[in-house]
Amino acid sequence: MTSLWPRLEPLLPRVEKPARYIGCEDGACTDIYKPDATSWLLTYPDTYEIGLPNQGLQILYELLNERPDAFAERSYAPWTDMEAQMRSNGLPLFSVDTHRPAEEFDILAFNLSAELVYTNVLNCIDLAGLAVRASQRGDADPLIGAGGHCAYNPEPLTDFIDFFVMGDGEEVIAEITTTVGEWRKSGKPPGSRENVLRALTQIAGVYVPSMYEATYDGTKLVGVQPKHPDVPVSVQKRTVADLADWPYPRNQLVPLTEVVHDRLNVEIFRGCTRGCRFCQAGMITRPVRERPASQVREMVSKGLERTGYDEVSLTSLSTADFSNIEEVVTGTIDEPGTCGRVSVSLPSLRVDAFTVGVAAQVSRARRTGLTFAPEAGSWRMRQIINKLVTEEDLYEAVRSAYSQGWHRMKLYFLTGLPSEMDEDTLAIADLAENCVAIGQEYTKKASVTVSLGGFVPKPHTPFQWFGQNESAELRRKVELLRERLRRNKRVHLKWHAPEASTAEGITSRGDRRVGRVIEHVWRHGGTFQEWSEHFDLTLWEEAMRASELDIEWYVHRHRDENEVLPWDHIHAGLHKDFLWQDWQDALAGFGLEDCRWTPCYDCGACTEYGIEHVVASPVPPNGGSQGTGQDLAIGHVVPVDLRPRAEVGGT
Amino acid sequence: MRLRIRFSKMGKVRFVGHRDVARIVERALRRCGVPITYSEGFSPRVRMSFGLALPTCYESEAEYLDVPLSPDSIVDGQIACIGWGQGKLHNEQQMQIALSEALPTGFDVVALTVEPKGGGSLQETVVTCGWKFDILGAVAREVEDAIERALAGSEIETERKKKNELVRENIRYGVYDLRMDGESERGPIVIAELSAKPRVIRPSELVDVLAPGAEMGIARRTHQWIEHEGQWQEPLTPSKSPQLKEYS
Repeated sequence: MTSLWPRLEPLLPRVEKPARYIGCEDGACTDIYKPDATSWLLTYPDTYEIGLPNQGLQILYELLNERPDAFAERSYAPWTDMEAQMRSNGLPLFSVDTHRPAEEFDILAFNLSAELVYTNVLNCIDLAGLAVRASQRGDADPLIGAGGHCAYNPEPLTDFIDFFVMGDGEEVIAEITTTVGEWRKSGKPPGSRENVLRALTQIAGVYVPSMYEATYDGTKLVGVQPKHPDVPVSVQKRTVADLADWPYPRNQLVPLTEVVHDRLNVEIFRGCTRGCRFCQAGMITRPVRERPASQVREMVSKGLERTGYDEVSLTSLSTADFSNIEEVVTGTIDEPGTCGRVSVSLPSLRVDAFTVGVAAQVSRARRTGLTFAPEAGSWRMRQIINKLVTEEDLYEAVRSAYSQGWHRMKLYFLTGLPSEMDEDTLAIADLAENCVAIGQEYTKKASVTVSLGGFVPKPHTPFQWFGQNESAELRRKVELLRERLRRNKRVHLKWHAPEASTAEGITSRGDRRVGRVIEHVWRHGGTFQEWSEHFDLTLWEEAMRASELDIEWYVHRHRDENEVLPWDHIHAGLHKDFLWQDWQDALAGFGLEDCRWTPCYDCGACTEYGIEHVVASPVPPNGGSQGTGQDLAIGHVVPVDLRPRAEVGGT
Repeated sequence: MRLRIRFSKMGKVRFVGHRDVARIVERALRRCGVPITYSEGFSPRVRMSFGLALPTCYESEAEYLDVPLSPDSIVDGQIACIGWGQGKLHNEQQMQIALSEALPTGFDVVALTVEPKGGGSLQETVVTCGWKFDILGAVAREVEDAIERALAGSEIETERKKKNELVRENIRYGVYDLRMDGESERGPIVIAELSAKPRVIRPSELVDVLAPGAEMGIARRTHQWIEHEGQWQEPLTPSKSPQLKEYS
């Protein structure tokens, strides 16, 4: 094994934040080199600060290093100054653990948590010294793998990635290790790459795009079909049945330099069944699997003692829904080892007073920010997106927060949602102003920050058929709201660049042809597209033109029921007809309750795989199935006034 | 009472900035159960004060840290641990070992005392720092000549960037000692003692004087000197030489 450290060290004084390239984290594995084992380089295609805390990567890192037949190191996208130094000094992509060159690993595995990192994936492959196109790589070159939420539409990256993994990685990495291990033992002779890739197709959850062919009729996609009889027609996601079997990471990495989420992170459940229709995470990670409360407590306690952190985050897609949330929170705060100085952060809070009660309890040591996500301004809109938070819920939550000493809070909204009209957008301002008015009953300092995101429809959601708003339209809506709130000094409006939503739209629902676009953007210097200082829409527009592809067709066009979608051969468990029905229900303004505590809708996530929700409590937490106090006895019809069916597309 | 700690920072961790070092130390104090105290207010912080900040990329054998202890935390001359160390009584030596273990590879506590609070803060009282650095690819003979010339004259003119502006300054007043000390595989090694008042003079400022156009290799702070009753002394003398656990 080769360490690049002697060549890297002289470059570090020339770059910003050099500590992100040194490794040395508590919990890092540096003596794991096993000459006969399958080696993985787990790569996060964004900066160290963003990538290090990633729980998925850390779980796999530990699991692989526990195995006798595997070991794993980590790598992150070098920032542009470092990349320039590396390229001019002929230094390849390296692991931060032992500073080995990427090329020495058997597998380079990328975590895809956002579409705009795709050009960074190409950049990392190139920095590793490998051909970016899978078809041009040699037999003995590392295999390039990818997983994470964006892998659910793998098609835009099929030119570059050798294999994708769908769903939870805990179990499938063992099978991949074995298969790749055999290839490794064979010495990787000519022709063997094809064989190992073919063998990987036999592992459930693994998709090898080169074993499939996409056919088109003009611009229309006809289908993505396997090239060989033994290659499965469709790829099913992997799901671990019980989180209790996977108390990982046991040794969370403690970085030496500040990163995002710089605290202990303990995953308390996976999956969410609230059914928010815009939310891809909620759709593809079903069913709900809670970690036993006792295990959460142990992981928190041991984790705090081991790391010395004074903050722990209980992570999930909707933390207040955890059956034993109060018990866990109280137990953590009263943990003697923390001397009452621990703060607990609860991301993804539900909008209700109960939640605020829990939040108030946790902020005894240090008051953290409070964020609610009503997602849409009007009740009509929230029914369409199935975020069944009433105005009263929100006001009650806000009142509870201000009365307990908070001065400001953050509200998250989306704009560009299906059938959204200007009155819906403007309703965001009404909500925010009403929240401030409530706050002013308690404090003169009351203020609200409204954070506005442009909606990008995602694969495997009921909104996958919806034509995304054009960036000019999103911009107009932002301006509308800005103008409306201009005189109100107590409501601060923040928004994401609508232009970035267009690029995200191209990649999120793209097909194989979009690979050319990604490559074009990368070749023209378009890395770190998630960073506003580097994002450039004209690069994407030029790339689409050069590839003779139409942005309107890919991004802004509504799809119909019969259209073959690029990810139809990838299965997240959800039946396509369930999603279509949910799309129709959305347009009709029907809400759908959380199936954790109500009868099954047969979306497919459980029934397809013979698994079930793992929920400690059979009753929903305080406040009803959506926190709205709805009467659950009436079944799935939500007792609300419905407006006449809105027209698809809206503004 | 307070803990006064002297620690080293060597190897890869020299690239960690001083604000990050504060975070690292804070976590280590908590892990060891040091009876730390907190500031008042909305967002309480652990009370601790560091000596002069060390520039990122520099190594050190002489970093200092004062940690005020809660008044009831000294029992029979020993430190009564709290939190994760609840129930433990540590003497200075035991605490030194525990802290060293809790710190990441590259950091090592080389001295630790429990002492009464008082005296000026380390940042105010340090008058000079000792440094050792090498110059990449420079010729030893030429460096030696340059040192001789510099010390013989009354001016050592240096250039440094200050808010995107080049500032020229004569730093002869702050150069107390300057000499060659052999060669590393990278280049000639220079030992210097440089003023910390009114500002900290960095070894990097001297590189252009000693070997025009050359780059500094690795610089290490070896001492921080304070003035005490007319005598210069170190706040703490190391009780052991710093350990650099080897990297694999």
